[in-house]
Amino acid sequence: MNRLPAPFGSRIDRSRPVHFTFEGKPFEGYEGDSIASALAGSGQWVLSRSFKYHRPRGILSMTGADANALVQLPSEPNAAAERTPIVEGLRVSAQNVNGSLERDRDAIMDRFGRFLPVGFYYRTFMGPRRDSWLKFWEPIIRRKAGLGVIDTKAPHRHFDKTHLHCDVLVVGAGPAGLGAAIAAAEAGAGVVLCDENPEIGGALSYGRYDPGILSGLASRLEALPNLNVLTGTVCNGWYEDNWLPLIQGNRLYRTRAREVILATGAIEQPAVFHNNDLPGIMLGGAAQRLIRHYGVRPGQGAVVLAANDDGYRTALDLLDAGVSVIELADPRSGDEAGPLHAELRGKGVAIRKGATVEAAEGTPGNRHLASVRIGGSWIACDLLTVSIGNAPAWQLPCQAGGKVGYEAGTQMMTITLPKGSVHLAGAVAGTDELEDAIASGQRAATAALSRLGHAVAVEPLVTPKSVRPRYVQPIVADPKGRDFVDFDEDLQVKDLQNATKDGYREIELVKRFTTVGMGPSQGRHSALATARIVAEATGRSVGEIGITTARPPVGPETLGVLAGHHEVLERRTALHTRHIALKAEMKPVGSWWRPYFYGDASGAEEAVREEILAVREGVGLLDVSTLGKLEIRGPDAGEFLDRLYTMAHANQPVGRVRYCLMLNEMGSVVDDGVAYRLAQDQFYVTATTGAVARVYADMLFWNAEWRLKVDVLNLTGAFSGLNVTGPKARQVLETLDSDIDFSHDAFPYLSGRDGTVAGVPVRVMRIGFTGELSYELHCPSSLALSLWDAVMAAGRPHGLRPYGLEASRILRLEKGHILIGQDTDAITTPDELGFGWAVSKKKPFFVGKRSIEMRARLGQTRKLVGLQFPAGARNIPGESCLVLRGGAPVGQITSVGYSPSLGRHIALAYVHVDDRAEGSRVTVKCRNGELVEVPVVAHAFFDPSNARQEI
Amino acid sequence: MPLRLLKYGLSRDYPVSGDIPATPELKPAYDVVIIGGGGHGLSCAHHLAKYHGIKSVAVLEKGYLAGGNTARNTTTIRSNYITPEGVAFYKEGVELFERLSQELDFNVMFSQRGQLTLAHTEATMRSFHMRAEIGKHMGTRTEVVDQKGVEELCPLLNMDYGGPLEILGGLWHADGGTARHDAVAWGYAAQASRRGVEIHQRTEVQGFEVVGDRVQAVKTNRGRVACGQVLIATGGMNYDVALMAGVELPIRCYPLQAMVTQPLKPWLDTLVSSVSLHTYLVQSSRGEVVIGGGSDPYQLYSTRSTLDMKEHLAEGAVHLFPFLQGVRLLRQWAGITDMTPDYSPIMGASPLANLWLDCGWGTWGFKATPVAGKRMAQTIADGRVPDILKPFALERFETFQLLNEMGATAASH
Amino acid sequence: MKLLTCPMNGPRNIDEFQSFGPVRAKLDPDGTADTDWSRHLFRAENRKGIVVEWWRHVPSNYFFLAERDLVSNEIIRTFDASELRDLA
Ligand SMILES: Cc1cc2nc3c(=O)[nH]c(=O)nc-3n(C[C@H](O)[C@H](O)[C@H](O)COP(=O)(O)OP(=O)(O)OC[C@H]3O[C@@H](n4cnc5c(N)ncnc54)[C@H](O)[C@@H]3O)c2cc1C
Repeated sequence: MNRLPAPFGSRIDRSRPVHFTFEGKPFEGYEGDSIASALAGSGQWVLSRSFKYHRPRGILSMTGADANALVQLPSEPNAAAERTPIVEGLRVSAQNVNGSLERDRDAIMDRFGRFLPVGFYYRTFMGPRRDSWLKFWEPIIRRKAGLGVIDTKAPHRHFDKTHLHCDVLVVGAGPAGLGAAIAAAEAGAGVVLCDENPEIGGALSYGRYDPGILSGLASRLEALPNLNVLTGTVCNGWYEDNWLPLIQGNRLYRTRAREVILATGAIEQPAVFHNNDLPGIMLGGAAQRLIRHYGVRPGQGAVVLAANDDGYRTALDLLDAGVSVIELADPRSGDEAGPLHAELRGKGVAIRKGATVEAAEGTPGNRHLASVRIGGSWIACDLLTVSIGNAPAWQLPCQAGGKVGYEAGTQMMTITLPKGSVHLAGAVAGTDELEDAIASGQRAATAALSRLGHAVAVEPLVTPKSVRPRYVQPIVADPKGRDFVDFDEDLQVKDLQNATKDGYREIELVKRFTTVGMGPSQGRHSALATARIVAEATGRSVGEIGITTARPPVGPETLGVLAGHHEVLERRTALHTRHIALKAEMKPVGSWWRPYFYGDASGAEEAVREEILAVREGVGLLDVSTLGKLEIRGPDAGEFLDRLYTMAHANQPVGRVRYCLMLNEMGSVVDDGVAYRLAQDQFYVTATTGAVARVYADMLFWNAEWRLKVDVLNLTGAFSGLNVTGPKARQVLETLDSDIDFSHDAFPYLSGRDGTVAGVPVRVMRIGFTGELSYELHCPSSLALSLWDAVMAAGRPHGLRPYGLEASRILRLEKGHILIGQDTDAITTPDELGFGWAVSKKKPFFVGKRSIEMRARLGQTRKLVGLQFPAGARNIPGESCLVLRGGAPVGQITSVGYSPSLGRHIALAYVHVDDRAEGSRVTVKCRNGELVEVPVVAHAFFDPSNARQEI
Repeated sequence: MPLRLLKYGLSRDYPVSGDIPATPELKPAYDVVIIGGGGHGLSCAHHLAKYHGIKSVAVLEKGYLAGGNTARNTTTIRSNYITPEGVAFYKEGVELFERLSQELDFNVMFSQRGQLTLAHTEATMRSFHMRAEIGKHMGTRTEVVDQKGVEELCPLLNMDYGGPLEILGGLWHADGGTARHDAVAWGYAAQASRRGVEIHQRTEVQGFEVVGDRVQAVKTNRGRVACGQVLIATGGMNYDVALMAGVELPIRCYPLQAMVTQPLKPWLDTLVSSVSLHTYLVQSSRGEVVIGGGSDPYQLYSTRSTLDMKEHLAEGAVHLFPFLQGVRLLRQWAGITDMTPDYSPIMGASPLANLWLDCGWGTWGFKATPVAGKRMAQTIADGRVPDILKPFALERFETFQLLNEMGATAASH
Repeated sequence: MKLLTCPMNGPRNIDEFQSFGPVRAKLDPDGTADTDWSRHLFRAENRKGIVVEWWRHVPSNYFFLAERDLVSNEIIRTFDASELRDLA
């Protein structure tokens, strides 16, 4: 066991052991342990095999950012072992291994590395046959690629979303973030402070600092009720207008902040040398996290590579944790480390200045670090900590518009933000020292507060105590390679250099050609080194090269948390329960549920035929509530409809109903319905179910320009509709208690009446989609059930039958009535439909008028006609079957069905304009490829003189 | 092991191929100036040099090579469109992809694993039938499948939802596939430059010298370049660049976003897209699941991403494959797409005699990279638009001869 | 999520709104030649820079105008359509 006693191990509870397995072997850790820390505590350092060469990999950063520490959970691939807490019974396994982690058959790839130079897959795997890639090579590559395995039977998990609003959001609860949050909250602002770690403190929680500093800040923080601390919460992106996703476990806080302070710290960078990826080689911060957070001793005998104070502090921490520090190598030659140097010396640690780690060697199979080479000599050790430099955490700042620069003098990567509501604080802004970080947080808070209108004393701009030049590791390709720049993607120095030789000289091209930075860590540990290598190789400066665009998310996030809980929108008419009671087969149409037919699915055909017959010979009842229903009110209502629709409405008498056809500006048919004039200044207009939302919007859109005196009300949900149709419709209605005279003379075809039926206020229109005597009764939806019940009861003696959508479609097809969207497409003109009668020639203007006139001049190419198949025809083409002329498609069948009234199949179809005449024969290609010849007939197949609807 | 790998492994040094020569000095004049070093411009350059013997060609690219939409697209390649003119054109495009790795001696990883588009409404089923009928008639592999067929093609799809989002059936397009977008551009660049074409990166066209009905020269940040013929192939900047020459195209720019998950072992074989959910998914050969959908809801010249779109796409993906809940997203991005009113491109002549257009590629132009390059090269070499391109002329908007592909483009690109 | 300030409803998330595109020049349909007319129909204001465009607040079906930068996406101001006539 590598466990240390308290106070080390701030996150773990030693009284609560937790058991889990890794690669089938039992392990024990403590509550609060992450998978990686628990395994390290038990001496299991290898966590995964690398992407390409299958090299053993272990803890690098303890931040969960890289592929080294991704593991497979039963129903979660690519889980970050450094962040995922262990729970009792958890089964963890390694990813990307062929065999087991211990014995990975693909480890042989490491020896074949030279056969796999960068981009090799672009130059090979093409032959021998044209489909060899698809059939042979790609399947192999796909199997080798990818990391985790997806569990297609994963149980459903619950995710939720909520909203958060604040004056100031502070991201990162390190010293700078704490300083900022406290300052902002003490001034009275509503503050949210989030940090991805389970505790506040950032570096103060694991670094070598006086614990009093953190506890002091923490107690100030606790005294502030207007400061909301969200730990275990990652701010995973910045979007326009300070819209930020804060992810806490399975919850997504969609957060709107007036001001944002980014105190996201810095990312420690690895060193590049031969075998720099061996387990046992880790960043200084990783060793410190293991010690302080988890009480895990990171090794027995350590070498420390230190080019900054953090490295010296790490060495001191290692000593405290009982690790023997064999040597500290500091590539700098001056006295930069000052007192830390002396302290370490005082403890008897050998310090070698001007020296660096040149290479490492591993135990057999490279399973762990065995020794490192410094100044030409090999030193045996099982731990190497690396502290050679940081890069500011540029992801969020760059998403917020920040620009990355490079200061040649200090060799620092810098970030500058445009002036605005996003501020930087602490290490991300380039501070080195603790006090500077806290002060820079306070300054950021001041800036945010003054933008929010708080009166704040502008603090004098103190220059940071020290911005010391950064050490820059010279990167030279090792002749033996395995000097990794990108651990995720197994890329070595020479790979990047070679890419530039092939002409991939721009950083984005280097990334794309080599895949550097494309893995799970998204360049966190490779971007800076890559920029330096490319700059060197192409003779340009690091500033000129830059880094690739930082895209959201900052860290990997599950699709589940993004998707959240998701309900499908669906609508039911007021009569839904009645349809169910009548055993209707319900179907979704758009978002609505509608009865398709009534009865058993097995007897569908029969049921539809009977429903049709009922309408043709008796009386039927259809729920038309899904129709769009709009009310147009105002002195200009008639003029308004005149401009929107093709027919004349201004002169439409009160009490009359008129067909209305809507075109778009291109002159294409977009909707139809009827308009019932209720009063001089009031129309009730129907629109098709699918189009009403758009028609409603368009009406007011047009009027925003026209400024006519009208108002439009969308009554689609508020009103329900019942169509009582068939030769006996009048008889049924006349038996109901009503103040409306339903007789032919009092209530002729194409007129409308207001009144009550069975005590329900109604608007009744005589229109005829079915071609039969029809009354369409519209009433407030709250009363629709009583109206339905009354009509059903009154109809019973007359054999009234409710009918569904399928019968309705056939009924209208028998009459040749079109369905918008089915018999029309984006370019259909009224002419093509033979709807000249529906287009006013007298009106000076209506939407689409100019275009249909022009299109008429350009000439028509197709026409919608009726096709009638001989009784008993064997091969009936389906919807969308092509109409051919000289072998070329000129149109298609738009609607087809069997007409029980006619005893044969009928269809509507677009045919070549020259074939439009009745009696022409057109060729249709059936689904099975067979060609059939069909005669063209008139649209109205049934009752062509339209006598029945007017009785 | 393929012979090439062996050769690599046994040679001492990295075998430099020099795919993309460093940008040379600009010459004062070229026979053909291609504006835009994306896939389309490079493909045209390759075809001009290889098949028409025209080698005095300069490709001018304002940024890095193929860094526009070529680098950002989700690489759907298909020909299951709805207009006969469109199907004829894209079919030739798919056929060129089938031979592209050999043509370029560069593995573009064309992976013809088929595309399955899902219908959740009867109206969509009807449009699928239309596309299938046209597709079959034109000789492509396009057919409508029922629920059972969908399950057979993609057994992991969630078929259990009833209601408005139930899967009613699908359009199966066996010709559909993907290819590695960058490789297509680099392959063309390498071939073209080997034949003498000059590729100028970081070279931005900032204006035109127009005399009469001809472009005399283009003005760049690196100086003036006189030209015999000019091609505009600038992707999201097509409207803007054409306007510099005084040509106003019926184009609006909208961002189009996409995103990708961490790499996973293979689980999804075909391309899957859903019309109602505005979501499509494909697993790349690296194992990442690429997820895309519809365009942003308003005009913008920006490649910023939004959280809303990401949430929407995640919702769609999880709806189709509920077990994706635990899969992690790695990256999202966007490109600026040049959308035409009818969702078809604008190819051919412009009002200026020597200015040619390869524009309006919107969200669907990657698949046409080989065929548009080939046919535009032919157009420029012959000075005459071939029949297959004629329906795509700019004038179609004056005569209402639109090629409406909206319905065949909304679900995937 | 971007914010858009509706002149009637105040600042709201932009997913409450629907874009109806840039304001288009008005042409007299009868005084315009055919090709000009069709060009007018399909042309699209798409210049880099600031456009005046129509927006709809969906829940209230209220149409208004916004000045927006097509490159930076900055919304410079929003106003009621009655001002449009003053602009024209
Ligand atoms: C997210 C997304 C997904 C997509 N998915 C698909 C898909 O699945 N299938 C599909 O077929 N299509 C898809 N597309 C569309 C496809 O990417 C494009 O249509 C296609 O890549 C266009 O290629 P291009 O060469 O014409 O343009 P680009 O690749 O954009 O190249 C144009 C080049 O011109 C350069 N340029 C611009 N202005 C100038 C100037 N003034 N001077 C010099 N150079 C200039 C640009 O820098 C750019 O490199 C998608 C697009 C996006 C954004």
